[in-house]
Amino acid sequence: MKRNLYRILGAIGVALLVMGCYPSGPEYIDDLDVVYTKFDEQFDFQSKGTFALPDAIVVDVKIKNGDTTWVYMKDVYALPILASIEDHLQAQGWERVGIDQNPDMVVTPAGISSTTYFYSYWYDWWYGGWYPGWGWYYPPYYTVSSYTTGTLMIAMADPTVDSPINRSQAAWIAAMSGVLTSSGNIDRILKAIDQSFQQSPYLKIN
Amino acid sequence: MKKILLAACALSLCTVGILNAQSLTSVTYSIAFPTGDVSDFVGKTSFRGISFDYHRLVQPNIGVGVSFAWNVFYQEKGYDTYTVDNASLSGKQWRYSNHVPMFASVNYYLKPGEQINPFVGMGIGTIYSRRNTDMNLYTIRQEAWNFGLQPTIGFLYRGSDETSVHVSARYNYGFKAGSELQEAQSYISLNLGFTFGRM
Repeated sequence: MKRNLYRILGAIGVALLVMGCYPSGPEYIDDLDVVYTKFDEQFDFQSKGTFALPDAIVVDVKIKNGDTTWVYMKDVYALPILASIEDHLQAQGWERVGIDQNPDMVVTPAGISSTTYFYSYWYDWWYGGWYPGWGWYYPPYYTVSSYTTGTLMIAMADPTVDSPINRSQAAWIAAMSGVLTSSGNIDRILKAIDQSFQQSPYLKIN
Repeated sequence: MKKILLAACALSLCTVGILNAQSLTSVTYSIAFPTGDVSDFVGKTSFRGISFDYHRLVQPNIGVGVSFAWNVFYQEKGYDTYTVDNASLSGKQWRYSNHVPMFASVNYYLKPGEQINPFVGMGIGTIYSRRNTDMNLYTIRQEAWNFGLQPTIGFLYRGSDETSVHVSARYNYGFKAGSELQEAQSYISLNLGFTFGRM
């Protein structure tokens, strides 16, 4: 009997040891940053040369009573992002022009954020059954945790492409996604913009 | 995966309960070396694994029973760009490949009753494989139940009347399955542990 007990304890011990060794995953928040790019294989980037870029980045659209309001990213964040996009395009041989100067391409950045909430609650209970009128007592406990992911999208489209829905299909899109922190540090997004151009060599026209 | 392991533990405990002099129960630590498609996915040796065996001796030198194991391969891939056609995705990846071989097996013991007792064995059954590729906040999970074979060689080194040191090498081969994981899943495991029961 004692020997069997040792065997059982041994088996449990080994199992716990193995479970404790189960591999972990990401350790830092920027480990989760990803950059996705896609381009239209039919599109001839070499035949184009100019682009237009807005001065602000839209992060939300609010529609109230039929009125549409654009919500923009704060300049302190938006300006370095826009400057980075412009620098990269110019380094690849593109020339920036105004939107009213018939640009070959229109580049539109947009920011999207999405928050996922985890919500759980449980009841603690206490029974004071000795006294009449007392009973199960349920003070509820709630826990809420959340994370927010942010995505910066950059779309590059030829505004002259004719389509039945008056919209141009993007010739190039880039999406950079990561978990947002409250640090106000945009180094991660600037690094992601660098990466998006690095993995898109077809944008080089010079 | 932990649930599977717990189930395996529970099962091993049951087998411990029905131990008698005519059976051998083995619990071993299992190191695994990936081969084929598993190796393409995770190139690193796995130091995370466990195996359980129960064999009933139908002849003094022939044991018939079952073999279960769990091996997990893991690799953290550095920042890299993965390109498919006209799309590219850059980021870090975490790759996990879990394998749970479940076999009915026969062992043939060459020198029963002696200090060193070599054996050869063959298992037939299935390998459950689960592959996870984690990137950003997402995981791609691919699973397969592969029909499998498991040739084994090893030896038992007798420490006391009922306890032997168990050393064995196994080739776990799961044939191509028509499910999410298309390719054959295979790896070699080296098992070190103890065998309980009198030969």
